[in-house]
Amino acid sequence: MISNKTLSKLRKVLDPGRIKTDAISRSAHSFDGYVVEGVPDAVVFPTKTEEVSKIMEIASMDRVPVTARGAGTNLSGGSIPLKGGLVLCLTQMNKIVEIAPADRYAIVEPGVVNADLQQALSPLNFFFPPDPSSYSVSTIGGNIAEDAGGPRCLKYGVTHDYILGLEVVLSSGKIIRLGSRNVKDVTGYRPAGLFCGSEGTLGIVTEATLKIVPMPKARRTAMICYADLDDTAKTVVSVIGVGIIPAAMELMDNTVINLIEDAMQIGLPRDVEGILLVDVDGAEESVDKELAQIVEFARANNAKEIKVANTSAESDALWKGRRSVYGVLNRLSPTTIVEDATVPVSKIPAMIRGCRGIAHKHSITLSILGHAGDGNLHPCINTDTRDKSEAHRVEEAIKEIFQLAIDLGGCLSGEHGIGLAKSPFLPMGMDTDSREFLSIIKKAIDPCNILNPGKFA
Amino acid sequence: MLNANEAYNCGRCGLCLTTCPVYRQEFDETVSPRSKVQLARLVAEGRLAQSPQLMEVFSMCINCGNCTAACPAGVLHGPLFMRLRSLLGDQFGHSWTMRLLFHLLTHEQQLLLSARIARFGRNVIFEKLAADLMIGTIKLKNTPHMNREPFRAQMPPVINPEGAVKGTIVYFVGCATNLTFGSIGWAVVQVLTTMGFRVVVPKDQVCCALPLIMHGALEKARENILTNIRVLGDPDSTAIIVDCATCGSALRKEYKQALGELGHATRAAESLARKVFDISEFVYQHFDLIAPYLINTPEQPETVTYHSPCHLRNAQGIKGIVEQMLSRLPGVKYVPSKDSESCCGAGGSFCLEHPDITKAIAGEKIRNAKATGASFWATGCPGCNLNLSANLEAADEIRVVHPIQVVARLLRKDQ
Repeated sequence: MISNKTLSKLRKVLDPGRIKTDAISRSAHSFDGYVVEGVPDAVVFPTKTEEVSKIMEIASMDRVPVTARGAGTNLSGGSIPLKGGLVLCLTQMNKIVEIAPADRYAIVEPGVVNADLQQALSPLNFFFPPDPSSYSVSTIGGNIAEDAGGPRCLKYGVTHDYILGLEVVLSSGKIIRLGSRNVKDVTGYRPAGLFCGSEGTLGIVTEATLKIVPMPKARRTAMICYADLDDTAKTVVSVIGVGIIPAAMELMDNTVINLIEDAMQIGLPRDVEGILLVDVDGAEESVDKELAQIVEFARANNAKEIKVANTSAESDALWKGRRSVYGVLNRLSPTTIVEDATVPVSKIPAMIRGCRGIAHKHSITLSILGHAGDGNLHPCINTDTRDKSEAHRVEEAIKEIFQLAIDLGGCLSGEHGIGLAKSPFLPMGMDTDSREFLSIIKKAIDPCNILNPGKFA
Repeated sequence: MLNANEAYNCGRCGLCLTTCPVYRQEFDETVSPRSKVQLARLVAEGRLAQSPQLMEVFSMCINCGNCTAACPAGVLHGPLFMRLRSLLGDQFGHSWTMRLLFHLLTHEQQLLLSARIARFGRNVIFEKLAADLMIGTIKLKNTPHMNREPFRAQMPPVINPEGAVKGTIVYFVGCATNLTFGSIGWAVVQVLTTMGFRVVVPKDQVCCALPLIMHGALEKARENILTNIRVLGDPDSTAIIVDCATCGSALRKEYKQALGELGHATRAAESLARKVFDISEFVYQHFDLIAPYLINTPEQPETVTYHSPCHLRNAQGIKGIVEQMLSRLPGVKYVPSKDSESCCGAGGSFCLEHPDITKAIAGEKIRNAKATGASFWATGCPGCNLNLSANLEAADEIRVVHPIQVVARLLRKDQ
């Protein structure tokens, strides 16, 4: 429990209205997109870096755990305050400080919503590539903490590829600035390498200088349907194998397709085994050529039906189902566990077959979707945590899925983070010395272990 | 005990935060739809105490339904929140303003009497003595004048068209048109009779009771619901027409839900719902009946923009239709506003309880509507109408009207 002494110190540095200790506010900040809950002792809403710094100074002195939170949409439990303490909510630090198209950067506060940044960049013909499914609500701070990806990261890379500079408040309250506004800058360690994906365990990002990218002139979307799920994976391998990098290549299996259709009636074919949703973007001349080549590969791999969108409205319609997929999956059972084990692209057919075998062996409901183009699959398990025997089978199946990914040369998480969901499996993906290296960094930066304790590091 | 079944479908994905007008102002998860769903679940599981503070959190909801429209898991927020509000209201009581409102809306005669007093206050006293008076963040002089006589009292029970009768329309006149926006009522009658319909205004109709339903005061709403189902259900009528998005959502959707919660049979509410149409939707569907009577070559086309009321779009699924109707009018240049589908922040009593949030939301809507250069801002909801016009500045040249008034202005003079 947080002491009254700590609270009164906090009230001296932050407007008391921005410190919530009532049961309702605390409950409202006890969950995110993952299944576990943890109730904080208080929720604080700072509005500027200096306030974050003073909060951290107090927390550090009084040894109070601090869990940073944006919109709370992550799927690994990264923003759940497992050990109580403070939830440091950054949603009200949400100003876009500067956009400089000629210098290709944008400076934002951590609470800026990804979609709001996109909306501000769009009239300037620029965009910020990371596009997690939650982009309409998730914050840039959260995207950085989780090193968020998304469909178009196949071509453009993930959040850490777009960090030029960060302002970070350390656990001691010290404010550090790493990187700069320059696309090229090798002064010191790269801020992205340290803080991107650290899930709030190393520091609190209070301002980010992001690299922005000119919007491609043209975009085409194709929806390719297959009678055999294996053929979707084979198409991905052949397309990428010849050097075509689409902006996105999304895979959905029959279970997912039918669930989307049940919920939204958007006209997906219910009888196919797999759909590939492919986006190509670039110059007007090149998109049609690339799309034609992809269609050719799809046909060679037994595609049943191919639908091409030529306008952005048609593209958006094809994407609508994919964007809503996690919520839709929830219609199937009280709990949906979304994994994101990732394998090299050439291993996707083996990974899909393996996952299905594991599901069959443990008799659990498993559907597969994911960013097939970069090997980042999302096997989704629908379950009811109240069913103890099933819970045990699910646990076993998840372990086997991770082992399979590792055996195929993959990793535990492509973009959702380790958080609570995957920390027990960390030894499968990292040996002792490598994990020790992480703890040395953690101990050096957060000696009292107050930043998001109980998470992966 | 609270039934919170809906809450167990929530996958906590957070997509409902995207378009929640209250969350987008506050950026505090506590008031988000996702949080309210989880809080309701915690109450049902006995893990969170019921308290006046919780009532305050649940008052931070405009009932716009954007959350339900955005929810991929199909969570029905409305009934869940309504049940919790009902539980909390029973325990901790409603504010005196809400109690007064509930009383008036269920007692037609007293409602009419207080409207007379309010008219005298609004039109006579304040106009002369207190021109700069504010109600919350709204300037009183920006509120509309009240009808001299209630609209329903001005209407004969049956109004026949000239020439052949194409059908009979039962017109449900909501409280707003009845007491304040009489000119909208006249426009509805004028357009419908021009189209060739006989218009019947049942004199025993009462308030649709939606404000009571939303606040969980179902027991109080019961009589109004049953009365309206009885007096509107003329088996020979072509359609029941409403000019108010909120009344429409009550007749089409909420009556069935509310009667179900009250343990009544819902079949009568369902058959009523099938006959109810919004006036703009009805004109769109029968556009050929009005087209011959419209001025074809106006000297100067009027630029019109639109605000889509949440109770029309989310509760009744009327999306894109009114915009198309406006675009088809010969004398109109329709220019969409970029946030035409976002909530205006009014939400019935919400704007009285949380005026600062409403003002911030309305301000953004007004900026975007003015950017279209329109001289008329059409919206088929008196709540939105009142809120948007009240927040306009004196110098603003845009005027808020009902879409049917745009149609009525274009009727040929010989009609």
